[in-house]
Amino acid sequence: MKAAFALLKKDLASEVRTRYAINSLGMFIVVVVSVILFSIGDEKITDYLTGGLFWVVVFFTSMSGLSRAFVSEEERGTTLTLQLIARPESIYSGKFFFNVALIFSMNLIIALLFSFFFEMFIFKNILLFVCAFIIGNIGVAASSTIIAAIISKAGSKGTLYPVLAFPILLPLILTLIELTKQSMDGNSISESSVELAVLFCYDVVMVASAYLLFDFIWKD
Amino acid sequence: MAWKVFLFVLMTLVCIAGITFPIVREPVTWYDFPLIPGLEENAKIIFFHVPTAWLATIAFLMATLYSIKYLRKKDLDDDVKAYTAAQIGMIFCVLATVTGSVWAKFAWGSFWNWDPRETSIFALLLIYGALFALRSAVDGDEKRATLSSVYSIIAFVTVPFFIFIMPRIMKGLHPGSADDTNAGPVVDFKMNQNMQVVFYLSLIAFTILYFWMWNVGYRSQIIKDKLQKQIN
Amino acid sequence: MEQFFSQNAIYIVLIIVLLVWFGIFGFLFSLDKRLKAIENDTKGVKK
Repeated sequence: MKAAFALLKKDLASEVRTRYAINSLGMFIVVVVSVILFSIGDEKITDYLTGGLFWVVVFFTSMSGLSRAFVSEEERGTTLTLQLIARPESIYSGKFFFNVALIFSMNLIIALLFSFFFEMFIFKNILLFVCAFIIGNIGVAASSTIIAAIISKAGSKGTLYPVLAFPILLPLILTLIELTKQSMDGNSISESSVELAVLFCYDVVMVASAYLLFDFIWKD
Repeated sequence: MAWKVFLFVLMTLVCIAGITFPIVREPVTWYDFPLIPGLEENAKIIFFHVPTAWLATIAFLMATLYSIKYLRKKDLDDDVKAYTAAQIGMIFCVLATVTGSVWAKFAWGSFWNWDPRETSIFALLLIYGALFALRSAVDGDEKRATLSSVYSIIAFVTVPFFIFIMPRIMKGLHPGSADDTNAGPVVDFKMNQNMQVVFYLSLIAFTILYFWMWNVGYRSQIIKDKLQKQIN
Repeated sequence: MEQFFSQNAIYIVLIIVLLVWFGIFGFLFSLDKRLKAIENDTKGVKK
């Protein structure tokens, strides 16, 4: 656990130094949101469509941002050092925490931009949306971290990542879109408890299998 | 040897029964199928479409089991078996998608309308596609085997969400969905005894056929690898 | 005969499906046999 936090600290420090995520991912979000705004123009779009668009932006931002976790280590040639000084589980935890932090900050920016630019982005039950948002982000971080580990060992790194991640993230994204619709309709938490339970199961299953399988990817 | 004859007879019987047995309003004789409201003659697809979808899932299960076995034992033959299982699964997955889509045109009025079942089979297709993309992107036998094993296990833990949870909590037109009132959970109530028998026989026949295809597939692949090693 | 088949086209479908199935079965059967022969051959080479 200590090693995991040390790794998280190291990643945060290198992030502060290079400002990769803040610069490029922030700009990416701005670009994507403005492309959507331009393509909509003066059209009035429905609230359901805004909810769907929100998760589309989240998906593509995490696709471009989260793959860095292990690829950056391979690029700098620090994989071997990491293998020597820490156990695989703590490496996965460190990267997982870093990705969780990254995705939460990114998605907060996206949510703020959406509520600023889209007048239909209103929730009757904001608490339900916040719950879905938190559980969903953890799920996205868990599965994209393990996919990032697979990608870092494979050849063509850039294009393969969304291809591999999309089918894994699909049940999560679909449930999240469903939940977003429900919170726009003003369902109470107990009314949507089934969907929340599905999200929670997904998180648990993903984190558990990622911990079990990370060993095999990391060691070769 | 005997099971090949058994498969031959069984599949022939399933074809004859599934195609020619008439669907009538009031089943009287032993070979009559009951009329299912909303499905009618279209109901006969169950003997050929459902087994292909079932095999796509079974193949994926097999691929995952052999992936786990590979990760434990590090025997490259297991990876070949998992790969062949996925290949044949891909074929049956495409077949299930196409037959389902053709059926949907006549039962629901359009080839594709993102019914939960259609979404889940599409996701299964994507998973298979991603698996092959990953395999072609990695060089080195052992690395490829390890990475594709890990990926197929991760993908497999999401499959229950597609196949069992989503179609049942979301609304859809496919027989067996959450709000399906007129066609009911078809397997349990609307099919009569002899229709169920034919249905299960067809599942068995297709499963045996799948295992045979898989067997031939992985044996030839292993021989190919062996010969390649001898030449190099 | 001809009239019977033109009224009950389902039997034509049946005959075609059965023919396809016989074809697939025969193909798989011969493939299996050939494969077995090759397996025996390669075993001989190794020893």
